[in-house]
Amino acid sequence: MSEGARGGRGDHGGRARNGPAGRTRPRAPGRALRGLAAAALLAGGLAACGGDGGTPTLHWYINPDNGGQARLAEACTKAAGGRYRIVTSVLPNDATQQREQLIRRLAAEDDQLDIMSLDPVFVAEAANAGFLRPFDTAEAQRFTRGVFPAAVQSSTWKGRLYAAPFWANTQILWYRKSAARKAGVDPASPGFTWDQMIDAAVRANFTVGAQGSKYEGYMVWINALVASAGGRIISRAERGNDASIDIDSPAGREAARIIRKLARSKAAGPSLSTDIEEQARSMLNGPRGGFMVNWGYTWRAENDDAEHGVIDKGIPADLGWAPYPRVAANRPSRPPFGGIELGIGAYGKYKDTHAVDAVRCITTPENMKKYMLDSGNPAARPEVFDDPEVQREFPMATLIRDSINAAAPRPITPYYTDVSAAVQSRWHPPASVNPQTTPRRSAEFVRAVLRDEALL
Amino acid sequence: METGRSRALWIVASLLILLWTIFPIVWIVMLSFKQPGEIGNVRGFFPRDWTLENYRTVFSTGLFTSALINSIGISLIATFVGVVLATLVAYAIARLDFPGKRLILSFALAIAMFPVVSLVGPLFDLWRDLGLYDTWPGLIIPYISFALPLAIWTLSAFFREIPWELEQAAQVDGATTWQAFRKVIVPLAAPGVFTAAILTFFFCWNDFVFGISLTSTDRARPVPAALAFFTGQSQFEQPTTAVCAAAVVVTIPVVVIVLLFQRRIVAGLTSGAVKG
Amino acid sequence: MTAHVETASAAEPARRAEISDRARAERRLGLLLSAPAVVVMLLVTGYPLLNALYLSLFNYRLTVPQDREFVGLRNYATALSDALFWQDVFTTFLITLITVAVELVLGFGLAMVMHRAVFARRTVRTAILVPYGIVTVISAFAWRYAFDLQSGFVNSWFGLGDFAWFSDRWAALFVICLSEIWKTTPFISLLLLAGLAQVPRDLDEAAMVDGATAWQRLRLVTIPNIKAAILVAVLFRTLDAWRIFDNPFVMTRGQQQTATLSFLTYDQTITRTSIGMGNAVGVLLFLSVVLIAAVFIRGFRVDLSQVRGDR
Repeated sequence: MSEGARGGRGDHGGRARNGPAGRTRPRAPGRALRGLAAAALLAGGLAACGGDGGTPTLHWYINPDNGGQARLAEACTKAAGGRYRIVTSVLPNDATQQREQLIRRLAAEDDQLDIMSLDPVFVAEAANAGFLRPFDTAEAQRFTRGVFPAAVQSSTWKGRLYAAPFWANTQILWYRKSAARKAGVDPASPGFTWDQMIDAAVRANFTVGAQGSKYEGYMVWINALVASAGGRIISRAERGNDASIDIDSPAGREAARIIRKLARSKAAGPSLSTDIEEQARSMLNGPRGGFMVNWGYTWRAENDDAEHGVIDKGIPADLGWAPYPRVAANRPSRPPFGGIELGIGAYGKYKDTHAVDAVRCITTPENMKKYMLDSGNPAARPEVFDDPEVQREFPMATLIRDSINAAAPRPITPYYTDVSAAVQSRWHPPASVNPQTTPRRSAEFVRAVLRDEALL
Repeated sequence: METGRSRALWIVASLLILLWTIFPIVWIVMLSFKQPGEIGNVRGFFPRDWTLENYRTVFSTGLFTSALINSIGISLIATFVGVVLATLVAYAIARLDFPGKRLILSFALAIAMFPVVSLVGPLFDLWRDLGLYDTWPGLIIPYISFALPLAIWTLSAFFREIPWELEQAAQVDGATTWQAFRKVIVPLAAPGVFTAAILTFFFCWNDFVFGISLTSTDRARPVPAALAFFTGQSQFEQPTTAVCAAAVVVTIPVVVIVLLFQRRIVAGLTSGAVKG
Repeated sequence: MTAHVETASAAEPARRAEISDRARAERRLGLLLSAPAVVVMLLVTGYPLLNALYLSLFNYRLTVPQDREFVGLRNYATALSDALFWQDVFTTFLITLITVAVELVLGFGLAMVMHRAVFARRTVRTAILVPYGIVTVISAFAWRYAFDLQSGFVNSWFGLGDFAWFSDRWAALFVICLSEIWKTTPFISLLLLAGLAQVPRDLDEAAMVDGATAWQRLRLVTIPNIKAAILVAVLFRTLDAWRIFDNPFVMTRGQQQTATLSFLTYDQTITRTSIGMGNAVGVLLFLSVVLIAAVFIRGFRVDLSQVRGDR
C-alpha cells in the first residue's frame, strides 16, 4: 500500500540494479510457441513444462530484493559444478501475499517448490501442515550453530528445525540528530522510552514515524511493544486453535496506551493509519522529520536518495541511530524480528539431496556476508557483523547485531495469519486503540477467528 | 437547428470530456518520467527531472517483459478461440432453428453476470488436478468462457442484420455454396466478427482476478497481476514510477486499437447490447 | 429481423416432405455448433460452483487438512450473523449505488454529446473509448497515485494540505468510486447512445415546434423512448459494480472498511485459506447476484430479449 521509491536506480558501488529480474530470459519466442502448442492441447492441458534433461533444476522462490538472491543462486550453481542448477522466481512484495502464493501450491503438493525464502512467521504453519522437509539433527546443528537465537526459534516447530536461517532483520530507532538536539533528548541514552520520544517530538514539533497501516508491519509494531512491556500475544501455540491468548494483559494495555498516545498526538504523521515503511522514511526526510522506527534497509535507501539528489545531501550525515525505544525505562526493549529462512518443500524431487546442499551453500557465513554487502539485508550469523568490510559499509552494524540478539519473534503458531489479521483488525486504525477495551476485544476476536466463528 | 449558444455549449462539453478521459493517462505518463526517488520527496504533477530510467527498468525486468508476452499471447489466443466458438453459436442462433436456443442465450447471460471471485477457490483446485495451474491454457480457458457471452451477443445481433437471402440469390446465379458463402456472407459478417474480437481482447487484457489467483510465476502471469506484484529495490520499497512506466507501455496498444477502430467498437458495443 | 429463417422455409411449400428431415438436420447442426461454447462455459462455472457448494459445508482449512469436519450450514450461519459481512454488504451497496447513479447521469450527458456534437465528434467518441479499453488495475493505480500523499498532486492543487485520503473511510471510498466511474462510464454511455440513436428525430423536432423547452423534451420525449436502454445499462452496471474487486484491491486492500463482498470472499478463501468459510461467502455472493438480477428482470421488467435481440 504505498509509494515510495524506486523501481530501479543505478545502484552505487557499481552493482547494476537488475532487480527481481536481472535473470536472463532470452527465450521469449519459445514461450510464445509453447503457448500456442498449449492452446492446441487445450483440453488435455499437458503442454508446457518438461525439463530440459541433463542437470537437475532447483526452483528457489525468493522474496524481492535488489537481485542479491539471484546472484547467490548463480554463485551456488557454479559451486555445484554441474550437479544441479538453481533458478529463482520472485514472490510478491508483501509478506502476506508471499505466503498466499506458496501455501496453496504446497497444499497441492507441488513438486516445483524446492527452496523457499520464507518470512519467519510462516514457518510454523507450513511445518505443522507437513509442507516442509524437516532437517535431521546433523543438518540442524550445521544450520543453527552460531545463528541468532530468534532466527532459530522461528525456524523450529515442535522441537525440529524446518528452515535454515538465511538473513535476519530488526528495527532500530532512526532519528535526525538535529531534531533530537532541538528537542533536547538523546535517543541513544540508555533507558530512552516511547513516552520520552513522543513527548519530545510533540514539544519541538517533530514527527515520530511508525508503521500503522493494516498490514503485517503493524503487527510487527504491536508485537514489539507488547514484548517490550514484558508480555506476549499468544502462548502455548502447540495447542493449535486452543492456544492461550495473552494479549489482554497489562503488557497489551501498555502497548495500546503507547499506540493511542502516538496516533492521537501531532507527532504522528497525517496518514499513520496507512503508513508503511516508506511513508515513515519519507516523513523522516520531511521538514518536520524527527524520529522513526524502521528496518535496517533505511541506511542504504537514505544514502541512495541523497546521491540522486531527491533528498537533501546533508541528511545522511544528520541521521542518527539508537536501540528500539523502551516501553518502561527499567526494562530493555525487545525489538522486532524479521528476515528470511530457507525452507525445503516436502514434495520436491531433490528435497533430500540437492536442495539441502544448495541451502547449505546459500547459508555459509561467506555467502551471508556477500549477501549482506550486496543487498543490505543483515546476516543471520552474529560473526558476520564483526567483519571489517561489513562494519565499514554499515556503521550501525554492531547496534543491529545487538538488536537482533535482543529481538522478540512474533507469535510462533500454525495459525499465524489468522492471529495477525485478527489483531490488526481490532487494533486498526491506531487512533481508535483504547487500552481499556482494545486488548480484550482483540483477544476475544482472535479466539473466534481461530475457531472459524468469525469472518476476517 | 442549433443556435450559436448551444453550439458553444456542445463544444465546451466536448472539451471537458476530452480532458476528463485523457487526464489520468497524462498523469501516469508524467509519473513514468519521474525519477524513482522523487516519490515521497518531491511533489507535483510534472517530473522535476525527466528520465527514461523507469522504462529501462521495466524492460530489463524479466517480470514485466514475460508478463507482457503472457498477456499478449494469452489474450490473442483466447480472443481467437473465443470468437471462433462464438461465431459458431451466433450463426446457429441467427440462422438455424433448434431447441435450446433461448436456453443458450440465457445461460450466456447468466455467465456474464457471474461473480468471478466465487469461483477462483474451486477453480484453483481443479486446475491443480488437471495440471493447468500457472499455465497459459489455465488462463485461456476461463478467459474464453467469460468473454463468450459478450462475443455471442454481439455476433448474434450482427448476424441477424445480415441479409442471408443474398446467399441464395448468389447460388441461383450459379455460385457454389462455398463461393456464395465466401463472396457474399464473409464480407458482410467480417465487421461483426472483428468487433467481437476487439471487445473480447479488451476483456481478456483487463482481467485481474484470474491473473492473480491462477498463476504463481512469470510463466503465465499476465500484466495486471504483475503490476500489482511489482517489487522495488528491497521488500520495503514500492516501485511507483516503474509501475507507471509499465502501465504506459501496456496502455499504448489499447490507445492505438481505439484510435484505429473507434467506429467498429462503438458499433459493436451498441448493436450487441440494445436493439430497437 | 428474426423472421428470415421461418419465411425462407415457409416459402418452399413444395419441399414440405423434406422439412422434417431438414429440420432434424438443422437441429443437429445447431446443437453441434453451440456445443463447444456451452461446454467451455460449463467447465469453468458449473463444476466449480457445485464444488464450492459442497466445500462450503465443511470446516476446512487448507493448512490443517486433518481437521476437516462436516458442519452443515454452520458457515452460512456464521457469515450471516457476522457484523463484518453486513458491513461489507453495505460498502458494496454504497459503491454500487453511487457509481451507478453517477455513471447514469454522466453517461447520459456523454451520450447526448456524442449524439449531438457537431464539433470533433470522432475525437470525442475516441476519447470516451480510452477509459473503456484501459486495464482497471491501471486506472486504480493512476487514481491512487494522484490522491496519495507521497506521490499525488491533488492535495497541493486543491490546497488540502496533508489530508490523507486513504486513511479515512469515506474519502477512500470516494477515490475508489472515482476510479470506477472514470473507467466504466463509457460503457454505460455507449449503451445509452445506442438508445438515443433509436429515438425518432422528428418526434423531438415536433415537440420543439410545439414550443417545448429542452427540459420538457428530454423528460417527455427522449427519456421515455430510451427507457429500455437505460434499464439494460443499469442492470449490467449494477451487477458489475456489485462484484467490484480490482479497485479496492489496488487502492486500499480493504483497509478503512472499504472491503467489498468480492474482497471478503477473496480474503477468506485465498488469504486465510479457510476453504469452507470462504466458499460459503462466495456462494452468498453468487446468490446476491442472482437476487439482484431477478429483481431487475422481474421487478423492473428489463426486457432482456432486447439484449439478446431475439424478439
